[in-house]
Amino acid sequence: MRTIIYTISVILIAFSFSSCEDVIDLDLKNGRSQLVIDGFINSDSTIQSIRLTKSAAYFLNAPTPSVNNAVVKIEGPNNLVYPFVNDGNGNYNYNPTSMGKLDSIGFEYRLIVEYENNTYLGKSTLKPVPVIDSITYEFEEADLGSEEGYYAQFWAKDFYGSRDFYWIKAYKNSNPIDTLQYAQFILSQDAAFDGPAADGLTFILPIRASITNRDEPFIIGDSCSVELLSMNEDAWNYLIQVSSQANNGGLFATPTANVRSTITDLAGNLQNDVLGVFSISSISRNYKIIQ
Amino acid sequence: MNKSIILIITLLLSFTVFSQEKYTISGYVKSAETGEELIGATVYIKSKSIGVSANVYGFYSLTLSEGVYDVSYSYIGYNEQTIKVDLSRNIQKNIELAETVNKLDVVEITGEKADNNFKSIEMSVNKIDSKTIKKIPALLGEADVVKSILLLPGVSTVGEGSTGFNVRGGGIDQNLVLLDEAPVYNSSHLFGFFSVFNPDAVKNVKLIKGGISPEYGGRLSSILDIRMKEGNKKELTGSGGVGVIFSRLSVEGPIVKDKASFLVAGRRSYADVLAKPFLNENLKNTKFYFYDLTAKVNYELNAKNKLFLSGYFGRDVFGSGFIFNWGNATATARWNHIFNEKLFMNLTAFYSDYDYAFGVDEEDPADDFDWNSSIVSTSIKPDFSYYLNNKNTLKFGAQSIYYDFKPAQATFASDGQTSNISLREKYGIENGIYILNEQKIGARTSVLYGLRWSHFAYLGKGIKQTYRDTIPGITKPLDEEISFAKNKSIANYNFFEPRLSVKYDLTEFSSVKASYNRMTQYLHLISNTIASTPVDIWLPTTNNVKPQVADQVAVGYFRNFKNNKYETSVEVFAKDFQNQVDYIDNARIFFNEQLEGDLLSGDGRAFGLELYVKKNTGKLTGWVSYTLSRSERKVNGISNGDWYPNRFDRLHNLSVVNSYELNKKWSFSANFVYSTGTPGTFPTNRYEIQGVVVAHNVDNKRNNFRIPAYHRLDISATLTPKKNEDRKWKGEWVFSIYNVYSRKNPFSIYFEQNQDNPRKTDAIRYAVIGTLVPAVSYNFNF
Repeated sequence: MRTIIYTISVILIAFSFSSCEDVIDLDLKNGRSQLVIDGFINSDSTIQSIRLTKSAAYFLNAPTPSVNNAVVKIEGPNNLVYPFVNDGNGNYNYNPTSMGKLDSIGFEYRLIVEYENNTYLGKSTLKPVPVIDSITYEFEEADLGSEEGYYAQFWAKDFYGSRDFYWIKAYKNSNPIDTLQYAQFILSQDAAFDGPAADGLTFILPIRASITNRDEPFIIGDSCSVELLSMNEDAWNYLIQVSSQANNGGLFATPTANVRSTITDLAGNLQNDVLGVFSISSISRNYKIIQ
Repeated sequence: MNKSIILIITLLLSFTVFSQEKYTISGYVKSAETGEELIGATVYIKSKSIGVSANVYGFYSLTLSEGVYDVSYSYIGYNEQTIKVDLSRNIQKNIELAETVNKLDVVEITGEKADNNFKSIEMSVNKIDSKTIKKIPALLGEADVVKSILLLPGVSTVGEGSTGFNVRGGGIDQNLVLLDEAPVYNSSHLFGFFSVFNPDAVKNVKLIKGGISPEYGGRLSSILDIRMKEGNKKELTGSGGVGVIFSRLSVEGPIVKDKASFLVAGRRSYADVLAKPFLNENLKNTKFYFYDLTAKVNYELNAKNKLFLSGYFGRDVFGSGFIFNWGNATATARWNHIFNEKLFMNLTAFYSDYDYAFGVDEEDPADDFDWNSSIVSTSIKPDFSYYLNNKNTLKFGAQSIYYDFKPAQATFASDGQTSNISLREKYGIENGIYILNEQKIGARTSVLYGLRWSHFAYLGKGIKQTYRDTIPGITKPLDEEISFAKNKSIANYNFFEPRLSVKYDLTEFSSVKASYNRMTQYLHLISNTIASTPVDIWLPTTNNVKPQVADQVAVGYFRNFKNNKYETSVEVFAKDFQNQVDYIDNARIFFNEQLEGDLLSGDGRAFGLELYVKKNTGKLTGWVSYTLSRSERKVNGISNGDWYPNRFDRLHNLSVVNSYELNKKWSFSANFVYSTGTPGTFPTNRYEIQGVVVAHNVDNKRNNFRIPAYHRLDISATLTPKKNEDRKWKGEWVFSIYNVYSRKNPFSIYFEQNQDNPRKTDAIRYAVIGTLVPAVSYNFNF
């Protein structure tokens, strides 16, 4: 939906005579600081990392302070507890070579964070993910809002019969691309955007084609790699909200609202002193060199 | 309810039988030049100090005891005409008034009698005719009905470019916008920069903000009643204009002289046509334009019967690799029938459709997206006026509207496979019956009292969804779905809506008025953006979404000075709203079959003071309007359940509108507006998720800050060349500057991560129009 609103806005701005945006100075009240859990992990054999920080004044213009005195662990199947070890920079890491990958499809993993006499809980069920069949590309000339170059598409098909949530990450020469100015995250529900359920289809064209930065398309010799991640609805919603709140300007802005945290206390209640999200994903990858 | 109406009619008819010694003079008041009916013309008998105003069809009826009377007919801008009438039987008398030759010192800015301000029982009502609208300096020189209304007391907007208007603390969907009695669901072209009404085809605009008569129902906050011209019955004439953004042309004339006439008016924007040679090859297929067409015919069958057919069709089209278009279509058929000299009927049937379509303009149908949405309403509406005697005028009538809502009809195609993602259609029927009496009590008091009964049924074919209550502010889980067959009632509501207005004459030039009205609204515009977008959808009241209800009390003091040269009014109002539709934070509005689980319901309140001073005659005419008001909402699940200001809340709102006739060649206009900034939600904190800075408000408060004030000056000059005087073609040049001192009026302030330095966050001021906008246009009449 935001795509449509965005397109309308682009057209409106392109043809409106004189709209204008400028940075202004503003005095904002500061609020109390809260623990923030940035907990995205996957079932890979690579090192898994969860980041703990504290929220800070809005115009801090520096990294928010990291939290290093918490205990972080994940509860897996068969009462296995996977410890995440602090690295002194707010990251808590787990190396799957020690106790194995977190890869029990269908199992609800539990993230436990103990911090300042409180214990917090995040829950996420590991969902399967479709394979990326291929990546294709073709040359396109410049058009409204896009530069000349090679535009890539990835080809994968949504699972039929279930409501599935995906996060697509794209890289140009191993660097994450800013795919679209309006959204930091490419997210899809079934094979389409955040609204309608295009169940069981090949990912629709705008999503297939979202792996190219329209300002800096691929050139010969570039590599294009794509990751497709399965998600739970709550964590997916969390990212949708982060995206829309982070790009909420213009005529058709929605009311500014807090992103709804998925972290609770042990009893499952939302708490005022903690923000953030826990998500575990299956991941599939593909790769292409532009020639 | 039906029985009681029959009973009342029977009673009324029997009443006439008993008052044999009285006779009635009735008929139409029209313009001698064009044959147009003069809405609100005054018919007055000086010897008895009795008068009546012609209704919206120009019909009047006055009942007096037998005798000889001097009856005078008057209408502002027209010569008064007095005729001697020997009232020894019922008389039908149609009168044509001649337009006053345009003398410079009598520049009128309303079409009604100047003492209407304090003499009429109406309060909280503003009228503008197209002459006034055309004088106000406008964006790109285009006279605009809705933008003119924004300059009236009690009316505000969330900002430039936003659709619609807010009346006395109500949302934009709480205004019933009627074009020849058919509702218009989206009154904007080009998002919100222009309204869909062609000023060349508009005869009369009336905005009712309070003391709303029982004739009207279905929206909480206001009625914007726009009447189109009937078309010149005497000769073929035309008018038009060439402007920066679009051109207009309208033609009107008789089909059968004095019997039948027509009007056709059209507009089209041509920014696309002008830009085409300058666009590069890639942009050649870009489409952006809008057009509208207004047409009307009327036919006077005989002295007792008149028929009117009118229609509007307008569309905005945008495209560039995609197609996006939206527009309204309305058709109205009306039959005026005079049963007898006392009983007048108007029967209206209308059809109104608003729809939009969004699609991918791809050559390859294997990858496609098509999305349509619409609201279609059809209605029948009989209204009767019964001129019981010169103390009582009764009106009664009924209305039934059938709605068909298509929230989304859509399909996706991807790589040759398609998936239908349409949402279920919804249906509803809205009924209303009303009766009112306008009664004069003694020499000083008038009372209008009445009752409207409204009913809404949410109809099948459809599904009744039941949601479980949960923590307020998060999506309610769906518990149960029950299917209903076609036309079976899924949910039913009905309300009695009492209405009362009182006027008391204090002196020969002043009065006090008070009113109370209760309104019910069964349609809801689902829009979660600051400015409403063309893709917003209308939804019916359901078992989960309750009807909106508002009660309003208003009191006012009205006084004219210097023989009606100046009119002034002071009004205060208080409004209480129930069942206001709101949305959980980050609600999913589109393609959500369980949208009702994301909706919240809350209370609203608004109160205010409105001051209005208007100068009607002289070289300098215009008005000053000032509104002090507050509009708030309280919704369980938003802003911790506390009262918070609405996004369009503005404490101060000032408009100064002036027009100065220097000489026959030059006239000048200027308007200045000032209003308090609207509120916005500002963050207190930041945190980081996956490298993205997320803004956070620890107190969870909505609309906790004010963006800076809005103010703007617009000017225009009109040049009427001398050679106009002795030729049929009359042209004028209008030079205008909008936003003269280039103020960057903020529409909103939003927060985002700096593109170059992701650690840095910025507050961005967004101004829709950040500079002055000059324009030239040429208008003509022939």
